[in-house]
Amino acid sequence: MNRRQLIPLAVAAPLAVLPLFLNAYWIDVLNSIGIYAMLGLSLNLIVGHAGLFNLGHAAFYAVGAYTAAIVNTTFGIPVLLLLPVCGLAAGLFALAVARPIIHLRGDYLCIVTIGVGEIVRIALVNNLFGITGGSNGIFGIARPSIFDLTLRTPLHFYYLIWIFVALTVFVFHLLEYSRFGRALNYLREDDVAAEGSGVNTAHYKLMAFVVGAGWAGMVGNIYAAKMTIISPESFTFWESVLMFAIVILGGSGSMPGVLLGAFLIVGLPELFREFANARMLVFGAAMIAMMVFRTQGLIPSRPRIYRIPAVEKGEGRA
Amino acid sequence: MEQFFQQLTNGLAVGSIYALIALGYTMVYGVLKLINFAHSDMFTLGAYLGLTLLTSLALTDHIGPLWGTVVLALMVMGLVAMVGALLDRVAYRPLRESPRLSAVVSALGASIFLQNTVMLIYGARYRVYPHDILPRVALDVFGLQIPLVRILILCASLTMMAMLYIFIQRTRIGTAIRAAAIDQGAARLMGIDVNRVILMVFLVGPALGGAAGLMVGLYYGQINFTMGWGYGLKAFTAAILGGIGNIPGAMLGGVLLGVVESLGAAYLSFAWKDAIAFCVLILILIVRPTGLLGERVAEKV
Amino acid sequence: MKRVILLCLALLLVQGTAFAADSIKIGLMGPITGPWASEGAEMKQVVQLLAEELNQKGGLLGKKVEVVTQDDGGDPRTAALAAQRLATQGVVAVIGTYGSAVTEATQNIYGEAKIIQIANGSTAIRLSEKGLKYFFRTCPRDDEQAKVAAQAIQKMGSKRIAILHDNSTYAKGLADETRGLLEAAKAGEIVFFDALTPKEQDYTTVLTKMKSVQPDIVFFTGYYGEAGLLLKQAKQMNWKVTFMGGDATNNPDIVKTAGKDAAAGFYFVSAPLPKDLPSDEARNFLDTFKKKYGNPPNSIYAALAGDGFRVITQAIAETKSTDPAKLADYLHKDLKDFPGLTGKISFNEKGDRVGEVYRVYRVNDEGQFILQP
Repeated sequence: MNRRQLIPLAVAAPLAVLPLFLNAYWIDVLNSIGIYAMLGLSLNLIVGHAGLFNLGHAAFYAVGAYTAAIVNTTFGIPVLLLLPVCGLAAGLFALAVARPIIHLRGDYLCIVTIGVGEIVRIALVNNLFGITGGSNGIFGIARPSIFDLTLRTPLHFYYLIWIFVALTVFVFHLLEYSRFGRALNYLREDDVAAEGSGVNTAHYKLMAFVVGAGWAGMVGNIYAAKMTIISPESFTFWESVLMFAIVILGGSGSMPGVLLGAFLIVGLPELFREFANARMLVFGAAMIAMMVFRTQGLIPSRPRIYRIPAVEKGEGRA
Repeated sequence: MEQFFQQLTNGLAVGSIYALIALGYTMVYGVLKLINFAHSDMFTLGAYLGLTLLTSLALTDHIGPLWGTVVLALMVMGLVAMVGALLDRVAYRPLRESPRLSAVVSALGASIFLQNTVMLIYGARYRVYPHDILPRVALDVFGLQIPLVRILILCASLTMMAMLYIFIQRTRIGTAIRAAAIDQGAARLMGIDVNRVILMVFLVGPALGGAAGLMVGLYYGQINFTMGWGYGLKAFTAAILGGIGNIPGAMLGGVLLGVVESLGAAYLSFAWKDAIAFCVLILILIVRPTGLLGERVAEKV
Repeated sequence: MKRVILLCLALLLVQGTAFAADSIKIGLMGPITGPWASEGAEMKQVVQLLAEELNQKGGLLGKKVEVVTQDDGGDPRTAALAAQRLATQGVVAVIGTYGSAVTEATQNIYGEAKIIQIANGSTAIRLSEKGLKYFFRTCPRDDEQAKVAAQAIQKMGSKRIAILHDNSTYAKGLADETRGLLEAAKAGEIVFFDALTPKEQDYTTVLTKMKSVQPDIVFFTGYYGEAGLLLKQAKQMNWKVTFMGGDATNNPDIVKTAGKDAAAGFYFVSAPLPKDLPSDEARNFLDTFKKKYGNPPNSIYAALAGDGFRVITQAIAETKSTDPAKLADYLHKDLKDFPGLTGKISFNEKGDRVGEVYRVYRVNDEGQFILQP
């Protein structure tokens, strides 16, 4: 058990000193990876744990990012203070959207989430209520500052983002091993049985959806803070596809898997820059190959083992 | 009122193309429960292969526009069907026994791969079909301007849909496909070669998608390597709208989506066209959770 | 096996960064993949050809010029990474990019790294209103173009005007500016103002609607692909109306798509084409380009990227320096009426190109673009 607890430390320590050896470009790649890792983890709750087929996660990410941008540029409230507001906005939006559709079967839910993603993007492009800036997006978001330090360089954001990744991992780990997490896994495996055992499936599915979406909204805030300009092009269907691929490729329901998935999905296109215009071709081929050779994802989630002291060794395992 | 009927015909034309592509999604889904995101690229591939064959073989010069187009369509369908079967072999077959969503990611990867293959082979610029293949005459029907080609396209897609319907309902292999769609395990026990059924589905579905691509190329004239995304997404929406896995449903969904789009755009807003279409989809699914013609599946026991 | 692949990749990367130091590097950031890949491909062809020509003539300051291309994918996030990558590759200046939002995501990165950026297709007004010292652009701004477009519409005596855009930053900006100018001048009535969905094939719905409000002229501010289809489908509907386009419709492919009969009579506003420039540079370049790639450059933005390359190399040659501050000063103050591929180039203190750049063109029955007096 002790060894397992050491693993996060063994991952975190090199990550903490890594930027000292990298140039601004690679640090920024890691920043991008960090943002997608958080998005992946939040989507993992919805797809990996609750088993809801969501291909429109970018919508909630967009709601968070635009909330941050609009409030910051009109009222001048520092971006990072808006983190809870953004989470709340995205969560409430998800609640309103998901309530009537949460009972849909897998693939029907998939197209509805794609639809929601597209509706949000089109609304942003069409300058909804005159506050989203149309396809120009919103610019001039104030750079965030912590105490007296204004976050400016990729290195600053590296620490901001990866501390937030660590926080995300921590929170979702707690969630996974809570009553809530157990209920989700139960209903993913068999929602009829779960319902029969008194789990309110619709409620838990909805909660998973709202929590995942709310977290994506907070990531949207960080993205807005980092870019200082946001536009609808950053929240297309393609972004949702990337997040989805991160979860499934890494290993649905497995946090180390999702982190690795983020490294591959965001990092590989950067590594493939040398292939010039063939880089997305190679990337597509790599996606197929990884799926074909690791059908369960790169690091599949393992079944949980509960030790029952009263059972004799060798008897309780079927 | 004239405007209304004109828009209705506009919607039907687009909708019949959606329907044809939607069939490919729905057939694969019916048997494998897989959303084949690479199907949109079968459509693109059909358009590009059509252009290559058209310009290199000059069939229409040798045997006249009508037969030339028919032969061309058959060749394109054959080639795209082969690509479809190859796609299944490489990207989907190794994933048969794994979680369903793994195959979806493989499909997304395949889509990226194929789209970029087309871009690298044909270049990123728009490509244009020769202009004089099909007659450019507009018929005047009760004051509505309807291009002749549009009627031809509608007829061609209706014919293909009817043929598919007969194939599925009346032939032995069609029956096998239906059986495998209902219950693969049971079908296997009844002596149906499920692998052959799947191969068949991956030949027919992409062939129809390729034919749709060729039609778009012949009619609209301009093709590019990203055109599959838009059509594919709409066709997938259409398949869901009709009830995925259901062949008449895909046809109905496609036509309906086309009409909703054009009327919604004309009477509400063009800029919000796709948003209107998706809103209608969501509303329909709230009322009928398995699409218009989809089977009612018991959600709760 | 996996290790071998990783090793190869690592080697490729190391190679990518460890070039010999005795060359001057100019970055090119363009949409090499993604929906605007055709623009990016041509930008790359133009800039590389110019670099080859320059190197044959002995390069710059006795050094070879090397073009480092990075893909911005047409999206702001990828562009930010491309900019960081270029910033670490030791480039003196960067040419690009196409989309305004994409350029904007990179402005601060180049500004902080003190790298000169010369955008080629980003026409949004606000990009140069931020007081950035190292930002320039060879394309004019939306307001310049709108002015010329509005004048042309007035000159044609159109009373009922339909404006159609595609909701992209560029097209919406141009459409809004033009509408504002026309309304201010009380020139005719705007009877239709809406956006189509780009990258589709069937625009009969929007055409039918526009036809029902009976405009004299349709001003489409989007791109040539859609414009070609609009012309063709309007012809099929037997609708005879004057169409006009913005500079994004300036591309010979529009005639290919629409067909000569449907394209005839189409007006568009654009920077002058290389063929209409009296300068020898432009014509020579056009010839060599045609020799090398088989066709003349299609996109005006590619030519504008070429101009970006030419002004920066001119600045380096004249100042005998690669110090960004000196180069920026030179471009702001000393570069006057430089003979570019798209006309005379000078920059104002904001980094915007000055001078009346836009002209009105008309497509004739042969599908040729004829400069209107």
